[in-house]
Amino acid sequence: MQCRRVIAVVAAIVATTGGAWAPAQAQQTGVIQGQVLDASSGRPLANAQVLVEGTGIGQLSNASGRFVLPNVPAGEHAVRAILIGYNETVETVTIGAGQTVAIEIEMSSTAIALNEIVVTGVGAETERRALGTSVEVLSADDIALAPVQSVDQLLQGRVAGATVNATSAQPGTGSLINFRGVSSVFGAQTPVIYVDGVRVDNDQSTAAGTGGEQSSALADLLTSDIERIEITKGGAASTLYGSDAATGVIQIFTKKGTPGAPRVTARMEQGIEMPELKYIFDTRTIFPGRVESGEVTGTFLEDQYFKNGQTQSYYLGVSGGTADVTYSVSGRLEDRTGTQPKDASTNYNIRGGLQASLSDDFRLDFSGGYVRHNFERLYNGSSIADPITTFEVGDALFFSGAATLQEAYDIFLMPDIDEWVNRFIFSAAARWNIRDDLTARLTVGSDNRTNQQRIYQPIGFTPGESTGQLNRRDRSFNSVSLDAGATYAWENAEGSIGSSLTVGVQGFREDESIINGQGRTFALPGSFDFDAAADITAFEGNVEVFNGGLYVDEQLSLWNKLYLGGGFRIDAGSSFGDNIDTELYPKATASYILSDDLSLPFVDELKLRGAFGQTGRFPGAFLKDRTFSAISFRGESAPRFANPGNLDLRPEKTSTIEAGIDAALWDNRVGIDFTVYDARTTDALFQVPRQPVTGQGTQQENVGEILNRGVELGVNLDIVNTRQLAWSLGGTFRYTHNEVTDMGGVADFPADGSQKRVTGCWRMVERDGEEVCRGGPVGAWWVTMPVDTNGDGLPDGSQRQFTGGFPVPDKSGSFNTTIGIGNNLTISALADWAGGHQVFDWGSVWATFNGIYRRERVRCGMEEGAAEGCEYAFPTRYDQNGAARGRYSQNAARSAFLYDGDFFKLREVSVWYALPEEFAGSVNASRASLFASGRNLWIWSRNEIVDGELNGLTGGGLQLGSETSSTLSPNRTYRLGIEIVF
Amino acid sequence: MKDYCTLIFGRGRRLAAAVLLACLAASGCDAIDPTEVNNPTTTDEDLAQATNPTAALLPGLRAQFARLINAYVVAEVVTDNYSIHGTGIIQTLDSPQEVTPDIMNSTGTSANGLYWNVQELRALADFVIDEIAPGDDTATPELVAEARYYRGMAYLTMGEAFSYVPHEADGTPQGADVAFTRAVADLQAATGFGPQANAALARAYRLQGDAGASAAAANAVLSADAEFLYAPEYDASSISNTSVFFLVLRALQEMQPLPRLDFLDPKYTERSSAIPLAKAEEMHLILAEVALAAGDLPGARNQLANAIRLAGTRSTVSFDDIDERRNADLSLRPRDSEILVRADESSPYRAGLVLDRPGDGLPIPNISGTSLDADSVAAPADAGDLWHSLWLARQEILFLEGRRLADLGIKLPMMLREIDQNPNINEGDAGTVPVIPGYLPQAPLYAMDVYSPVMLYDGDGPDATLLSTMVTIGVDMNRVLATNNASPFN
Repeated sequence: MQCRRVIAVVAAIVATTGGAWAPAQAQQTGVIQGQVLDASSGRPLANAQVLVEGTGIGQLSNASGRFVLPNVPAGEHAVRAILIGYNETVETVTIGAGQTVAIEIEMSSTAIALNEIVVTGVGAETERRALGTSVEVLSADDIALAPVQSVDQLLQGRVAGATVNATSAQPGTGSLINFRGVSSVFGAQTPVIYVDGVRVDNDQSTAAGTGGEQSSALADLLTSDIERIEITKGGAASTLYGSDAATGVIQIFTKKGTPGAPRVTARMEQGIEMPELKYIFDTRTIFPGRVESGEVTGTFLEDQYFKNGQTQSYYLGVSGGTADVTYSVSGRLEDRTGTQPKDASTNYNIRGGLQASLSDDFRLDFSGGYVRHNFERLYNGSSIADPITTFEVGDALFFSGAATLQEAYDIFLMPDIDEWVNRFIFSAAARWNIRDDLTARLTVGSDNRTNQQRIYQPIGFTPGESTGQLNRRDRSFNSVSLDAGATYAWENAEGSIGSSLTVGVQGFREDESIINGQGRTFALPGSFDFDAAADITAFEGNVEVFNGGLYVDEQLSLWNKLYLGGGFRIDAGSSFGDNIDTELYPKATASYILSDDLSLPFVDELKLRGAFGQTGRFPGAFLKDRTFSAISFRGESAPRFANPGNLDLRPEKTSTIEAGIDAALWDNRVGIDFTVYDARTTDALFQVPRQPVTGQGTQQENVGEILNRGVELGVNLDIVNTRQLAWSLGGTFRYTHNEVTDMGGVADFPADGSQKRVTGCWRMVERDGEEVCRGGPVGAWWVTMPVDTNGDGLPDGSQRQFTGGFPVPDKSGSFNTTIGIGNNLTISALADWAGGHQVFDWGSVWATFNGIYRRERVRCGMEEGAAEGCEYAFPTRYDQNGAARGRYSQNAARSAFLYDGDFFKLREVSVWYALPEEFAGSVNASRASLFASGRNLWIWSRNEIVDGELNGLTGGGLQLGSETSSTLSPNRTYRLGIEIVF
Repeated sequence: MKDYCTLIFGRGRRLAAAVLLACLAASGCDAIDPTEVNNPTTTDEDLAQATNPTAALLPGLRAQFARLINAYVVAEVVTDNYSIHGTGIIQTLDSPQEVTPDIMNSTGTSANGLYWNVQELRALADFVIDEIAPGDDTATPELVAEARYYRGMAYLTMGEAFSYVPHEADGTPQGADVAFTRAVADLQAATGFGPQANAALARAYRLQGDAGASAAAANAVLSADAEFLYAPEYDASSISNTSVFFLVLRALQEMQPLPRLDFLDPKYTERSSAIPLAKAEEMHLILAEVALAAGDLPGARNQLANAIRLAGTRSTVSFDDIDERRNADLSLRPRDSEILVRADESSPYRAGLVLDRPGDGLPIPNISGTSLDADSVAAPADAGDLWHSLWLARQEILFLEGRRLADLGIKLPMMLREIDQNPNINEGDAGTVPVIPGYLPQAPLYAMDVYSPVMLYDGDGPDATLLSTMVTIGVDMNRVLATNNASPFN
């Protein structure tokens, strides 16, 4: 028997490489066939996983809810049906040899899925009903239906409490993801990401800047073959990740296949991409004189530069297996030409997953994925070499030295910016049920990501080095993760009291190496290696980080309705100061299924939950040390002071108290998930300046305190649920109050650029009868504003002040709806919005150098006062005697370039049509579907100048977003595809 | 085979699984190797291992001195020498009365990084001289003398550019006189480094108002080398000449000269262009000033003529200039050689001060240049005219070397970070606001950069036609200095 399992493993591997799958040995068997139905409406349910327990026989139900399970050994069997959003259902079936038994499995829907199993943030697999925290789960169905390519896009609008803002339309860029506000003033707020238990690269800035729209490691985390995503947003749900999880954890589980005959899925998509020109002013607005002279049309960019792009995507996957071995292997190719010249990307993705039970109590899981992502782009954002920016701010002729816009256009298209990403993520996990009550597990794995970038300015590219320049940047990122633990479970004889105690260790190590090379001045065209240049420079940077710890987690179950949890993690890390040995992160949770004790009208299930937990964020690598850096100068190595050093450096800690309810109402037609939280980051790491007289720069120190307080709400409504029609509505809402509550004696300092500031005195408030300072949100806008210095009511000076605005939306939300018509047609739509923030438009700043006031031109027309009642918003400056002295210069009145950032976007509309079974059968397929989708279809924004979503000028470090140039919004995409399952 | 399988997966399966688990764990631990991270930069422990730390750190002082000079030269945008047109330099620096500690809050090598760089040079020199060299057997007197030179130059620059600054952590701000005293002490100990130490001493004594000592030091330099020039090149691949970016390389050439100084621009044309740190011309100008202050007009004429003659022998570069000479609003500035410029309304128009731009093969002085000729200053003139000529000669010959800030008497405020972090400094204290002599024009803003007519051309394109060939500078700052007896020797 055991040897057969080994053979089965080998057979499964053979199958994953294209070999024929050997079905189980013929026995005295029968066939179970049937249909999965919604219990209340009788509507067939597709994609339910139907398993004959203990046999490894299983199948997904098709669009009609039907399934056929052949070769079922004669006898009595439990047939289990599993589907997200429904209670797991078991039917007992007795079958004789050669017999065919038909059954119907009726599944009752559940609005809050209390029996769903989650593993993120808890020591052992735990039912949602026992969780004292909010954990979001995206299912395979959610993912399969989403018209997105990468995980960051997938999260957009689908996770209550998350803000996910795109960077631009440039290939290779990712989104800024934020859960529960800005909890730190250093580094990005991107949650840490695990794939099958392996910590992976989540860096938002992995290549040399080409104007701000940075290459992101999120762009190559593709949505192919994801089984489930679990999301914790910090607090107790993330405590077991210790010093690494203050910004939350996204855990991705890939598919390993389900028992059953080999299932081949082929999918093909073709699409077009269209540029979003809502915020493009074009030559009619920027160069009206040249339009009038007939040199160019008023839509020069629209006609010449922007174009419709094409997308094609092909996917082929095989999955299946037996009770002992399951597998899933797939390949995906996506090729895209974008909406701008030299805007293209190609993705190759191969991945495989394998789950093997070597014995009744020992299981191995493997997964591996390889991504190659090639893309090319042009300069962008703040670069004067960006074709869009330079035309949109009126600089095209000045910076190119060209006589005509057409000549300038040709010059700006000369550079080549190419990037190649190779990424391999591997995970291996073992699970050993040592005894019925004792389980051990181990997960090891690695993420290896390399990207090479070449930025080539050919000879004659006048906005840059006219003698030619090549920049080359290679980045190598390697991480290794390990998580090992054991869980002891106990239950009393009556089953009323249970305990689950987990002890484990978890840690990771990251190694990042960056080499930059630059060659300037080439003798001849065509030289494409920087060693052919006259002037060559090179730089190197290396970072090594280890962080790990011991965790203990206890979950106590009382009468299956009251759950108490507690635990802690003790952490050590290479970035801790020498005086800091370990850090302790405690947590405590409680969950109570109130509806089990109290019958309330219209309430089906009601869970109350609350939790306290700490998480951390470890300091920057090597910032504990006093260091000296050196550069080459006149042929010598020239040292200077670098980091001042801090032996007491420790992680900043975020303590979160949260409470919430999960409720299912009105016959499970309404599901509510509501959370209120208070997250306070103490020992916040500020980059504290030393006195310049010491010659020392800044040093990270644990001095600050940051508060994030807010609410998260997710609602789902089943409006109609009949056999012929199902209509559901959903929505999310988030509000976060972000405040720096203690500066730790440190003066205000800039954050994410010079115009955003961390301050302990943002506005005055009355407290105990006295006016006292109140801290601002992290990165409150601090820009030059007109001021009246002599009290005559007329602005005559300029001063940097807080505008009262901030760059991060304090509220956001989404709406979704899904309509199912009959058994075959599903239509869904998703919209999201954010607001409360201000965005800064550098494009309008730069345009003023050319005498172009973009906002005024858009609102008023070309000439001041051209539109009746329209006044130029750009302020007039007066002298001390009250005489008008013309408009303020751009640097003296930056507040004029801050706009309301509120936006609403119709993000997705998709239609799935399951072709009739007869058609699928005619091509020997079990299922065939057509689908069509649109993404980024419509935008409303409070201002008409810049897209309030974009983070065009992100760069590295703390990335708050909302500073843009003339940045192209994500393209409108339309896709049409077919999926056939054999 | 069956027995083997039974052994592995049957009776011994749990043992086998345990071994497998342990192996995986061990390999995982080995791969993570949590104890080993290597800081790629030098730590204190690493420095302690250095066999010749003083010599090893000296290149750092040379580099930091280069950064300081970079910032000092770009800081001439504060004076009448240059005005700012573009985004690369904070425009507020164009007007000294608007320069606040917040504006100076930079650690870069542009004008607003001047305070940072002077303090970093002083602190790094303190570290080498006081902490490293005493315990370093390989620290020769020559090495220490060089380190003293850099610290002396740091103190000298502090006194020139700032009114009050702290000299140590938590220190109360010290006046420029204290800085000059410390500069003199270090420079006296640095004479073994070369004549540049005496040249700096001559400058320091001048600023202290010590005519005798200043003249002695200046003569010592001239005795050593009548054409003395100390101008190390910059490094195009690392710390390059910052002003070149604003004069030449950036599309918006932010630093645009006062029209009467157009013929001197751009003094530096390459990333590696050397900035004169000390030269014989300055010594002659100091000697001329000493003589003039003492009423020795012939002696002053003679030394002034020496300076002018020597400047005339210095090299020029042939420069193909693409600078279109534009203001911030992209309107055109004077850029045709037919334009005549007068220093103020009462001065005569002079030719030859403006070159044709853009233009190829422009002869630009890269060490010293002047519109004065030796014969004219040798002619009889009253003391007032000689003082004017002296200040003009200093402005032109020492152009883009950092002297103009001190010649005008402008003292910049310290950087905001110092005020924020030092418990003994508060806003409003000495050194936290700019100090501007009362004789400098206080209004309007940028008064020193103003000229008329503003609209000199009929458009802003390459073919724009010149509307007037007469340009008048608003204020002749050299006349202001002469009239107000601005010399430290007076």
